[in-house]
Amino acid sequence: MGKVDRISGIFWLCFAVLMIIQSYRLGLGTLHKPGPGFLFFWVNIVLGIMSLVVLIRAWVGKKGEGAQPAIFGRQNIPKIIFVLISLFLYALLMETVGFIPVTLLLFIFLLGIIEKKRWYYTAFVSIVVTVISYLIFETWLQSQLPKGLLGFLRF
Amino acid sequence: MDIFQSVLYGFQVAMQPLNLIYCFFGVLIGTLVGVLPGLGPAAAIALLLPTTFKATPVSGVIMLAGIYYGAMYGGSTTSILVNIPGEAASVVTCIDGYQMARKGRAGPALGISAFGSFIAGTISVIALTLVGPLLAGIALRFGPPEFFSLMIVGIMVLTFLSSGSMLKALMMAAVGLTLGGAGMDSISGKYRFTFNIQALLDGVGLVPVVMGLFGIAEVIENLETEIKREILTAKIKNLLPNLKDWAESIWAIIRGTILGFFLGIIPGGGAIVASFASYAIEKKVSKHPEEFGKGAIAGVAGPEAANNAAAGSSFIPLLTLGIPSNAVMAIFLGALMIHGLQPGPLLMTRAPDIFWGTIVSMYIGNGMLLVLNLPLIPLWVMVLRVPYYLLYPLILLFCMIGAYSIGNNTADVIIMLIFGIVGYLLRKFRYDAPPLVLALVLGGELESSLRQSLMLSRGDFSIFVTRPITLGFLIVALLLLIVPIITQRKKLSALEESP
Repeated sequence: MGKVDRISGIFWLCFAVLMIIQSYRLGLGTLHKPGPGFLFFWVNIVLGIMSLVVLIRAWVGKKGEGAQPAIFGRQNIPKIIFVLISLFLYALLMETVGFIPVTLLLFIFLLGIIEKKRWYYTAFVSIVVTVISYLIFETWLQSQLPKGLLGFLRF
Repeated sequence: MDIFQSVLYGFQVAMQPLNLIYCFFGVLIGTLVGVLPGLGPAAAIALLLPTTFKATPVSGVIMLAGIYYGAMYGGSTTSILVNIPGEAASVVTCIDGYQMARKGRAGPALGISAFGSFIAGTISVIALTLVGPLLAGIALRFGPPEFFSLMIVGIMVLTFLSSGSMLKALMMAAVGLTLGGAGMDSISGKYRFTFNIQALLDGVGLVPVVMGLFGIAEVIENLETEIKREILTAKIKNLLPNLKDWAESIWAIIRGTILGFFLGIIPGGGAIVASFASYAIEKKVSKHPEEFGKGAIAGVAGPEAANNAAAGSSFIPLLTLGIPSNAVMAIFLGALMIHGLQPGPLLMTRAPDIFWGTIVSMYIGNGMLLVLNLPLIPLWVMVLRVPYYLLYPLILLFCMIGAYSIGNNTADVIIMLIFGIVGYLLRKFRYDAPPLVLALVLGGELESSLRQSLMLSRGDFSIFVTRPITLGFLIVALLLLIVPIITQRKKLSALEESP
C-alpha cells in the first residue's frame, strides 16, 4: 500500500491545508455565533490529521515490502485518455456545434477509431444512436438539447 | 387519517394510469440496470433523474423508486447466469447461484430469487407502512441537536461499514462535507470555496458528482481491462422451484427479510450489507453448511430476500427523517429536492400524495416485477450479450445528456467529467466514494443544525450531552469509531505475539 498511500496522503494533506486557510479567511465566528468557515475549519483540521496518519503509516510500513505493483495497469491508459479527451471536447463543443453533429462525431470516434470497428458498422450504429437519442430526449422528453450549427432546421 | 385510510389514499394516487406507467417504466429500467454489470442503481437514478423533470413530482418519485428496487431484482439474474454481479448487492448471489446454474438448475435459482425478492419486498413495504408514520411522529419532536447527532451517526455507520480502510472512509466524509460547503452560505450570505469559478457559485451539484463518481468512473475502470463474460447458453427451464426447493429456502427468505429490513433502516446499512449478513447467517444455521458454495438454494434465497427487504426499508429514514441511509437514497434525496420537496417528518403531512403514493406504488411495483421477471428472463439474457464496446459509449452518452439537462449548461457536464476522473483515481488509490456522497448531501443540513444548536445553547457544547436522544446517538457514533481501533490493536498484538 506504501506508494498508493504516500501519494494520496500528500494530496489530501495539501487539500486540507488549502481549505483550512480558506475557512479561516471566511471567518470562524464565535461559539455563540459560528461563522461561515467554522465547521470546515475543524473538519479540515481533522482531515489533515487523518492524512498525516495515512502518510506516517505508509512510511513506517515501507520497510520489508517487496516490489509494489504499479498503480495503473499499462496497456489501456492511452485508450482511457483518448476517451476522456473526446468527452471533454464533446462537452465544450456541444453548445456551439449542436447535439446531433457532436454525438455523431463522438460515436464515429469511439467506435471507428478507438474500438476499430468496420466503417459501415460504425456509420450505421452512430446514425441510429444519434437519431434515437434525439427522438427520446428532445422530441419525447423535451430536454432542450443544444441545436448549434443545425439551429436553422426546425424539427 | 388512520393508516387504513392513508393506504387507500395511496392506492388512489398510485393507481392513476400515468403513475402506473411510470411505475412500470421504473421497475423495467431498474431491472435492466440491475442486469447490466457496470451500471448500478445510484448512477442509473442520477442519470435518469432529468427524464422525470417533465413529470409531476409523484410520478417522478414513483419511477425513481421503481428503478431502485427493480435493480435489486435484476442484479440476481446476472449473478446467476454470468457469475458477475449486476450490481453490488448481488455479489453473494454469485457464490451459490452460479453453481446452481452450472448444475443445470439456473431455472429454480432465478425463480427462487424472484419469489424471495417478491416476498421480502412486500413484507418490507408493509412494515414501512406501519413504521413510517410512527417514526415521523417521533421525529417531529427532534430539534437541531437531535438531527445533528443523527446525521453524525449516519456518516459513522457508513464509514464503519465501508469496504476499505475506515480511516480513508472518514477522510472521504470530511472531503464530502467540505465540497458540500461550496457555494453561498445560507446564513451569512458569503460565498465559500468558489475560487472565483462561475460554475461553483451555486455549489457542487449532487447529480453531476454522483454521475461522475459512479457512472463515468465505472466506465473508465472497465476500459482498463477487457471484461470477458461467459454466458450459460443452456436453455433455462423449470423456473418454478419445486416443493423441496421451497422447504429449503422459505426460512432463509423469512430470516433474510427480517435481517434486511432492520439493516435497511439503519443509516449507513442497506442492501449490500444485508445480503452479506444473510449469507453468513444461512451458512451458520444450515444443517448442511458444506453445500454452501456448491449450489445451496438457501444461499440464493436468503441474500436476495435480504437485499430487497433492505431496499424497501431504506426509504424509512429518508421519508420520515430526511436522512438518506446510503448513496442511492442520497441521490433520491437530491431528486426530491429538485422536485421541490423537503423530505423529513413533515413530508407525510405536507405531501401525503408523495408519501403514500410512493409507498403504495411499491406494492404494485413488486407485483409487476414478479410478473415481468420470470417471462422476460430470455430478454435479459439477450441484453447481457450486448458487447461492452457498444455499451460503454451508450452509458457515456446517457451521462452527458443527463448532466446537460439538469440545468441546460455545460458546466454540470464538465463537473461530472472531473468527478469521473476523481472517482477513478479514488478507486485506484483505494478510497470509498459513498461516504463522500452521503456527506456531500448531508453537509448543508449538518452545518445548519450544528450552527443552530450552538446558537440555541449560546455556544455551550453541553447541549449535545444533556439531551438524552442526542447523547444516545453520539454514544453510538463514538462506539463505531472506537470499536475498530480496539479490534485492530488486538489483531496487531496477536500478530506480534505469534512467532
